[in-house]
Amino acid sequence: MQYQDRKKIFSARDVVVKFNLRGKVLTAVRKASLDLYEGETLAIVGESGSGKSVFTKSFIGMLDKNGYMESGSLALDGQEYPGTQSEKEWLNIRGKKIAMVFQDPMTSLNPVKTVGQQIREVITWHFKTDKETAKQEAIELLRLVGIPEPEQRYKQYPHQFSGGMRQRVVIATAIACKPRILICDEPTTALDVTVQAQILQLIKELKDEFGMSVIYITHDLGVVAHVADRVAVMYAGQIIEHGLANEIFKDARHPYTKALLLSLPQLGEKGRDLHAIKGSPPNLYKEIKGDAFAPRNPEAMKIDFLYEPPMFQVSDTHFAKTWLLHAQARPYTDALDREGIKDTEPLRSSRPAEGKEPPLLSVKNLTVNYKLGRRTFCAVNDVSFDIHAGETFSLVGESGSGKTTVGKAIMKICHTNAGEIWFQGKQVNKKLARNELAAYRQAVQMIFQDPMASLNDRAKVEYIISEGLYNFKLFKKDAERRQKVSRAMESVGLMPEYLTRFPHEFSGGQRQRIGIARSLVVEPSLVVADEPISALDVSIRAQVINLLNRLKAEKQLTYLFIAHDLSVVRYISDRIAVMYKGRLVELAEAEALFRRPLHPYTRALMDAAPVPDPEIERDKKVAVYNPAAHDYTREGPAWLEAEPGHYVRANRAELADWLKITHGRGAGV
Amino acid sequence: MDNYSLQSPPFEPGKDAVLPQELFTRAEFSEQAGEDTGFTNYSYWRSTLNTFFKSHLVKVIVVLVALLVLFTLLFPVLTDKDPYQVALSARKWNLPPSAAHPFGTDGVGRDIWARVWHGTRTSLILAVAVAVVEVGIGVIIGAVWGFYRKLDTLMFAIYNTLTNVPSTIYLVLIAYIMKPSVFTIMIALVATGWISEARWFRSRILALREADYNIASICLMTPIRRIISRNVVPHLMSLVIMSAALTIPASIGSEVFLSYIGVGLPPDLCTLGNLVNQGRSAFLVYPYQMIIPTLILCFITISFYVIGNKFADASDPRNHI
Repeated sequence: MQYQDRKKIFSARDVVVKFNLRGKVLTAVRKASLDLYEGETLAIVGESGSGKSVFTKSFIGMLDKNGYMESGSLALDGQEYPGTQSEKEWLNIRGKKIAMVFQDPMTSLNPVKTVGQQIREVITWHFKTDKETAKQEAIELLRLVGIPEPEQRYKQYPHQFSGGMRQRVVIATAIACKPRILICDEPTTALDVTVQAQILQLIKELKDEFGMSVIYITHDLGVVAHVADRVAVMYAGQIIEHGLANEIFKDARHPYTKALLLSLPQLGEKGRDLHAIKGSPPNLYKEIKGDAFAPRNPEAMKIDFLYEPPMFQVSDTHFAKTWLLHAQARPYTDALDREGIKDTEPLRSSRPAEGKEPPLLSVKNLTVNYKLGRRTFCAVNDVSFDIHAGETFSLVGESGSGKTTVGKAIMKICHTNAGEIWFQGKQVNKKLARNELAAYRQAVQMIFQDPMASLNDRAKVEYIISEGLYNFKLFKKDAERRQKVSRAMESVGLMPEYLTRFPHEFSGGQRQRIGIARSLVVEPSLVVADEPISALDVSIRAQVINLLNRLKAEKQLTYLFIAHDLSVVRYISDRIAVMYKGRLVELAEAEALFRRPLHPYTRALMDAAPVPDPEIERDKKVAVYNPAAHDYTREGPAWLEAEPGHYVRANRAELADWLKITHGRGAGV
Repeated sequence: MDNYSLQSPPFEPGKDAVLPQELFTRAEFSEQAGEDTGFTNYSYWRSTLNTFFKSHLVKVIVVLVALLVLFTLLFPVLTDKDPYQVALSARKWNLPPSAAHPFGTDGVGRDIWARVWHGTRTSLILAVAVAVVEVGIGVIIGAVWGFYRKLDTLMFAIYNTLTNVPSTIYLVLIAYIMKPSVFTIMIALVATGWISEARWFRSRILALREADYNIASICLMTPIRRIISRNVVPHLMSLVIMSAALTIPASIGSEVFLSYIGVGLPPDLCTLGNLVNQGRSAFLVYPYQMIIPTLILCFITISFYVIGNKFADASDPRNHI
C-alpha cells in the first residue's frame, strides 16, 4: 500500500513544549512536527533528554505540572484540538482516542486493587456500562492480551503477576476503550529480552486486530527495526529525520542517524574500535544554535553552527533536517563520499596467554542462597568458571539468573553459602586479614550499572576519584594525588577542570566515565563490570565500550563483564558464559558460541534480541525456551564438553540431539 | 529567561536563495565542545532555602523568632530590671500592666516583663541544648546502628524498654535523684529522647546504605566512619536540621510540664514552666499573670513546629521547582 494513500489520523505541527524549572524556562521540544497514518506503527527514536516522551505526552495533556505547550497545533482526524485544556476536557481524548502505555508496569497499576477491577473501572467509567457486562469485557480483554485463565487472574492483584504479565495487563487497560492511537513509551525497557519479544509481538497483533495506529517510543534500534513501519529520529527536542523504516536503516541522511546506526556494538568488528559518537548529548540547559548535533559531529560544516537547517525532502516519505542535503553542499558531500567511512583504530591486542598460567580468578561450585521468609531461594547454584589474566569474560543472563550475585560474591559484598573463589592462588571468600583484604579490594574493582546511583551526589568529583587513593594510601604527597586524579580524568576523556564540579552537573555517560576513573585509579587487575552500558544512551555506549577496551590494553586489565544482551557482549568478549536461574547452562569462546549455540536457552536468548535491521526483524518468529522440555528422567544433566572449550549443561542424549540440529548453523546474527 | 531562540532559516527548500559557499565547508571540530552538555547551577542547599522562604508565613515566623531570640538574649544587657527583685510594699503586688511594669507584677511584686524574658531565655537555651545533644547522639548512634546489623538485638531491647515505659516516670525519677537544676533537666530529657532519634536515623540510613555509591565505597575499602561522614550524613543533613527544630518545642513542653508538676527546675528560677505554674495559682483573680507566659510559650512552640515541617518539605528535592 502506498503511503500517500493512507489516511492521516493524527498530526502535530510545530509543537513547542517548555518547562518552568527553578525560575528558568527550559525548552524541551523545539518545533517538532509529526504525522501519523492509519494502521501504521511509527517509532520515535531518541536519547534521554531528546524530548521524545515529553513530545508525545503533550498530545494527551499529560505533561508534568511545571510543563506547558507553548505553541503548535494538534489535530486528530483532521479536527484540531487545543494543547492546553482542562483535565475534564482532556478525558475526551486521553484513554478514549489516544491511550498510553508506560515503561514501568508497576507504577501504572494500583497495587491495592485487583487487576480485573482496574480494567472494569476504565470500561464503566468511559462507557457507563453496567458492572456485569464490564466484567465480561474485562475478562475478554485479559484473554486478548494473552493472559492464561483470565477468569482466575481477574481476581488477582498486580503483585501476583510477573513483569511481562503486568505489562500485558497495562496494555489491556490501555486498549479497553478501543483507542485509535496507542502510544507506547519504552514499554519493554524494564523487561527481559525474551519477554520483550513476546510483548512486541502482542502489540503487533493487537494493532492489526483493532486497526489502531501505534506510536512507539524507544531508544533501542533493534526494537525499532522489529516494530516500525516508519521511524522518526529525535535529537535535542526536534525531529531531525523521518521516513520508512527501510529508508532510515539503509539510507540515513542526517549525520546523527548515520552515526547512531554505525556505532551499534552489534555491528562491531572484533579487534577494532567501534565507530563511536563523540561527546555527550545536550541537556535542556544547553543553549542550542544551528544544528544541535554539530558540536559532536567531526564532519560538521560551518553553516551547521550558524543556522538551523530546514527539513529537506529526500523521497516521498523520507525527510531529513540537515544542511548536507542543500544543493550547495554537493561538493562537500561528494568529497565525504570519496573519503568513505574511515576504518576505526585497531585495538592493541591483549589476547590472554593460552591456558598455561593458572587462572587469575577461579570460581568453584559457588552457591549463594537467600532467605525469603521461611523459604530459601537459591540465587546461584553450583557455578564454576575460570577467568584468565587479560581476557574479557562475559556472564550473560536475564534478570533473576544470578549473574549479578556472582559478581557481588566476587566483590565480597555478598555472602557465599558453598563453594570457593580463588584469586591469584588465594582463597578469598572467607575472612581475610586486614592487609589481605586491602590487597584484594585494590586488585578487584567494580563498575556499576546505573551511573546516576553510583556516585555520591554530595561529594565533588575530586573526592570521588581520590577515595581509593586515600584508602590504599597510594600517594606520598598531596600533589601526587592530585596529579593521579587529573590523569585518571584525562584517561576517561574528561577535562581536569571538571574536578571541582558535583556529579549532578554531568550527563549519564560522563558520570559512568567518572565511575570508571574511580575504579581504575587504584590500578586493579580485575574489573567486574555489572551491565556498564545498559543504562547509558545509545549514542554513548560505543564510546564507553571503546574506552573500556582501550583501558584494558593500556593497563593490562582483565574484565568480568555482566550483561543481559548477548549481541552486545559478542563484540567485547573473549569467552561468554550463559546463566539461567542460578546455573551456568553454556560456556564457550564468543565466536564459537555464536557459530553454534547448543543449549535451547542460549538459542532463545540469541533469537530474542532484536537486530537493528528491519529486513531480518520483520518476519522473525521468536522461540520461547521451555525448561520443562528437558527429559532428565533417565539421566540427569551434567557439565559436558561438547567441543574443545565449549561446555554445556545437558545429558548426553540431548547434547547429541542439539549437536545434530545445530550442525551447519551459520553465525546467529 | 529563554535558553534558546529559533533562528529564522535564511533559506526555504525549493526557493533559490544563495548562501555563501564558504559556509558549506568543514568546520573545526573540538572534542571539548562536544562534551559540553550544558549544565545547571543547581545547588541543593540554595534550592532548599529558596523553596523554604517561598512561603510568606515562613518569612514572618522566621523574622519573629529571630527577633524574639535576639531580644531575650540581649535582654539583661538592654535593661537593668531585676526579675528577682521583690517588693516589700503590698501596694506593688499584683499590679495590672502599666508603663512601669508592662506585664504587671506578681504576688510578691516581681516585674513580670523581666521575668517573662528571662524565663524565655532559660527555656530556649535549655531547649536548644537538648535538641543539639539529643539529635547529635541520635545521628551518631543511629548511623552506627544502621551499619552494624549485629547491634539490632541490643538496640531494640533498649528501644523497647525506654519507649514502653512512660517517659514521665524516668523524668520524675531522674529529677528526684539529682539536684533540680538546668543540667539535670537536660540529662533527663536527653536520656529519654535520644533513642527515638537514633531509631529514626537508623531507618533512614538503612535506606541509604544499600545505595550503589556506598557499595562503591565499600569496594574501595573506605572505612565505615568515612562512609558515614562523607556519604550518608550529608544526605541526611536536612533531616537533622528538621528533627532538631522539632525537638525544641517538645523539650520546652517537657520542661513546662516538669516544672508544673513540681519536679523540674527549682521554683525560684525564672523559666516559662515556673512562670506558668506560678501564674496558675492567681489565675482567677489576675489572669494576665498566666496568660502572658502561656502566649509566649505557644508562640515558640508553634513557630518551631511550623519551621521544622516547612523545612522538611523544602528539603525534599521533589519540591524544588
